Amino acid sequence: MNHAEQITDATCEIFSSMVMLKVTAKEATKRTKPEFKNSITGMVGLAGTVKGNLLIHLPAPVATSVTTAFLGMDVDCIDDDVCDAVGELANMLAGAVKTALDPSGSDIKLSMPSTVYGESYNLDCLNSGISVLVPFNIEGAEFSVELQLIDG
Amino acid sequence: MGKTVLIVDDSNTMRKIVSRALRQAGIDFSEILEAGDGQEALDVLANNKVDVVLSDINMPNMTGLEFLKAKSEDDSIKDIPVIMISTETGADIIDQAKALGAKGAVKKPFTPDLINETLGPLL
Repeated sequence: MNHAEQITDATCEIFSSMVMLKVTAKEATKRTKPEFKNSITGMVGLAGTVKGNLLIHLPAPVATSVTTAFLGMDVDCIDDDVCDAVGELANMLAGAVKTALDPSGSDIKLSMPSTVYGESYNLDCLNSGISVLVPFNIEGAEFSVELQLIDG
Repeated sequence: MGKTVLIVDDSNTMRKIVSRALRQAGIDFSEILEAGDGQEALDVLANNKVDVVLSDINMPNMTGLEFLKAKSEDDSIKDIPVIMISTETGADIIDQAKALGAKGAVKKPFTPDLINETLGPLL
């Protein structure tokens, strides 16, 4: 199974079983632009035999809708609950990718999840190594999940 | 008298999700207590009668495995069953958790049915 398939399977499973929303994967690509507008990104680092980052990027309106579905409570702006929910989504996605890359669980360590959000922010694109971004449709909107793996 | 569960996770979101999953699974606890890391969990156990603990592994301050070790060294709480709920479900980590006394493990993401299958036999 390639990385795009791992991301797709993990994302679809997490959203169907935990968020109760159906998502549909689009064709995998590679992110070329560093900037995000009115969005939130959740990220978890991978360290050990495989090094890199798992990131989930959501436009703010998508993040609030997802958090509302995830927690069963109304959310209308990015607050602590949204950051925590997006961080936990990143954590579960990273766990799924880790399981695929490291079935024993002892060769790769995951960082604690973190989030960044704002009207405009930049996240570096990976120039070398592996970088896979899978866009997803969700109720007429879009978000994406990205895996960056560093060479060596 | 109803039973009490302690949910240990640094994510407030995940504590809410686990609480919801317990209700959806039809497991009726009279009280649901929460803790944000292993040390908080030890503090809760020291001051409350808890029947079962559901704990994350990867947490700041005191991890789930460190919590299990500390709990196993305290005669007053060592017999309270613990189920691990985590993204960290590699065989090595689960073996470590079971060696420290965990009674089972549930992988995130999970369904209410999976929670019920794992937790039910302990109640």
